[in-house]
Amino acid sequence: MEANELQEVVLAFASGAKVREKTDRPSLTVPAASLPDLLAKLKADERLSFDMLLDHTAVDWLERGVLELFYQLFSTRHGHTLTVSAEVPREEPVAPSVSGVHLIAEWQEREVYDMFGVLYEGHPDLRRLLLDDSWVGHPLRKDYRDDHMIERPK
Amino acid sequence: MGLKIIDDFPGVAMKVPGGSVMLGVMDAVINWARANSLWPLSFGTSCCAIEMLMATGAPHQDMARFGAEVARPSPRQADLLVVAGTIVKRMAPTLRTLYEQMAEPRYVMATGACAISGGPFIYNNYSVVRGADEIIPVDVYVPGCPPRPEAFFYALLTLQRMIRSGDSLKSRHVHKRPVMSALPAGITVADIQEELRDLLERDSAVDVEKEAAAGPWAGKGYC
Amino acid sequence: MTVQAYTLDDLVKRLDPQATEGASQQYFLNLGPQHPAAHGVLRVMLFLDGETVVRAIPVLGYIHRGIEKMGESLSTRQFIHLTDRLDYLSALMNNWAVARTVEKAAGIEVSPRAEWIRTIMAELQRLQSHLLWLGVLGMDLGAFTPFLWGFRDREELTYIFEETIGARLTMNYVLPGGVMSDIHPEFAARVKKYVAYIRPKIAEYEALLSGNVILEERLRNIGRLSAEDAVSIGATGPVLRASGVALDLRKASPYGAYDKLEFQVPVGTVGDSWDRYWVRFEEMRQSIAMIEQLLGGIPEGPHMSVKPAVKVKLPEGVHYGQLETARGILGVFIAAAGGSDVPYRIHLRSPTFNNLWSVTRLAPGWRIADLVAILTTLDLVIPDIER
Ligand code: SF4
Repeated sequence: MEANELQEVVLAFASGAKVREKTDRPSLTVPAASLPDLLAKLKADERLSFDMLLDHTAVDWLERGVLELFYQLFSTRHGHTLTVSAEVPREEPVAPSVSGVHLIAEWQEREVYDMFGVLYEGHPDLRRLLLDDSWVGHPLRKDYRDDHMIERPK
Repeated sequence: MGLKIIDDFPGVAMKVPGGSVMLGVMDAVINWARANSLWPLSFGTSCCAIEMLMATGAPHQDMARFGAEVARPSPRQADLLVVAGTIVKRMAPTLRTLYEQMAEPRYVMATGACAISGGPFIYNNYSVVRGADEIIPVDVYVPGCPPRPEAFFYALLTLQRMIRSGDSLKSRHVHKRPVMSALPAGITVADIQEELRDLLERDSAVDVEKEAAAGPWAGKGYC
Repeated sequence: MTVQAYTLDDLVKRLDPQATEGASQQYFLNLGPQHPAAHGVLRVMLFLDGETVVRAIPVLGYIHRGIEKMGESLSTRQFIHLTDRLDYLSALMNNWAVARTVEKAAGIEVSPRAEWIRTIMAELQRLQSHLLWLGVLGMDLGAFTPFLWGFRDREELTYIFEETIGARLTMNYVLPGGVMSDIHPEFAARVKKYVAYIRPKIAEYEALLSGNVILEERLRNIGRLSAEDAVSIGATGPVLRASGVALDLRKASPYGAYDKLEFQVPVGTVGDSWDRYWVRFEEMRQSIAMIEQLLGGIPEGPHMSVKPAVKVKLPEGVHYGQLETARGILGVFIAAAGGSDVPYRIHLRSPTFNNLWSVTRLAPGWRIADLVAILTTLDLVIPDIER
């Protein structure tokens, strides 16, 4: 399927979805609450069959006060890709977990929780993945500072 | 008795009727023996481990030539801790434990920029410990990222020299001053730091935009 | 008032709701974080019934170096040298993945010669990586000869890399726009000689290992990963292909000079340890075949299309690029705010991260020694997992 065509088909699927501008692959933005349903539907549909969640990460848009979650989907059947993004507020970052749809999401979400503090509703085992449990803060947030870090001298 | 004495045996061997006697200071003899039978503990955490612990053990480099091929994964059976790789905060307590589990006398070699100072991961980093010597005392530093196997061997020889000329057994808990293994004679660490500072200053003064505008790439949309 | 008496099992179940029947007789064992068979600093918490694994829980973070945070204050070109240190056995391919993403974002053309150099170097490195894996596999399963052989043949490749690139392991060779330096005049001749040398060696390995009853017993039918699970955990590379899914980006969406090459994608059938072993073995043969084809025609031209002093500015937006390393798909995610060569956020999707997840599925039911075999055939590089 061509990129445009794909985007059309997917748009029809997702209620409340918009095309996300400024990306180099077919992408859309959806409300965070609809993520698990949408991903399950994208996986089940014959024409699309997005069966692999290649990557999940977040970006901290400090100025806008949102964390944008990115899901990179891939179809091992058709070889096409899709980026799904959703925004959650920085102050109260709660998103539904998609670990029921893709197994690996369990770890990816743990990593994003560890690094950004996003809380995933319905996650079976939400723990820090890479840092100690006693760690304070979430290092990949833009305003994270600690005593250990030193700036590169100009 | 046909005993073949190694050239650098610290003492004299005398023929007496019925065999030979070796005379030497006990300290020196024991140090000599220790220097020639180092058993490394492989503490490899990342990239350096491939070069320092695996490539050196393999046919082309072969650290058996230097009498240190018995790499042990257990700290109880080793006397040389080779720290090869980055140490992060979460790993630091483990490294400390391993060091403490080793029996005296024990030696530590910090191989690679990471184990010396945090290496490429110094700035803007929240998790990397800046050098093994923040956690345990280090005897020999081997610079490089990763160091070449030859640098490792040179460090091994340096350590052996250090042990041979080393402290008396009475004060073995007193730590020797660490050495930088691959520095040629006459150059100090301060010299290197000085030179690096100059280099950084010179580099940061390059006006890349201007440079680019002068080149054959000007106006092609790369900048 | 009723009085209730408890058993030891009840106590354990109260402490751990997931505990199974007979849990009070189980052992608990930490494999790692400093264990020679764990391939670096991986820690796996094992719940054992005798020697049989009941549950395996990987614990990560012993080599998490915070590279993504550093990337937010480094230009992509500076960042590339950190990617060497992730999966250091595919250092060059990591460089390439970032360079490709930047090239796509900034619209930089790459000369055919540079693409050719990248491709042949990548294949040489894939071969090198698999040779190391073969050596380590032997050692983990209790045979020392494969280690000596694998490293003997790997070292020759290291010399070839060093001659052109100047580094043995952390190469920092592929940059946006091309490669750091042109190939050494002796390069083609040396590679040709090496290929002639390694071909019979691979057959020798096969004679030593593939027909070996002990090896077969240790690998066959152990740790079966079904195709469905493999896809759902996002496994890629030889691990996915061993489970019967023929996904190889070199074939599926060719980059570099791969579209001009003839090669096959070896695919397994049942996804057990043996299939993973076999797939890597075949990949070595394919790599050699590709290298031979590449040696046939070296395109002329410049090796670099951007002057190294030029800042490569990233246009605003989200960029994603991916490529097939020796371990699977490496994805590079860049979010740029525009007007600068420093990304706003850079994230790497490492293949081994997903591949490791399968341990939780594969280990239960097998002995500890089998777990070691499973870990080896997943071919893990821990710094790559944790970044
Ligand atoms: S010094 Fe360099 S090669 Fe060694 S562990 Fe650190 S980054 Fe890796």
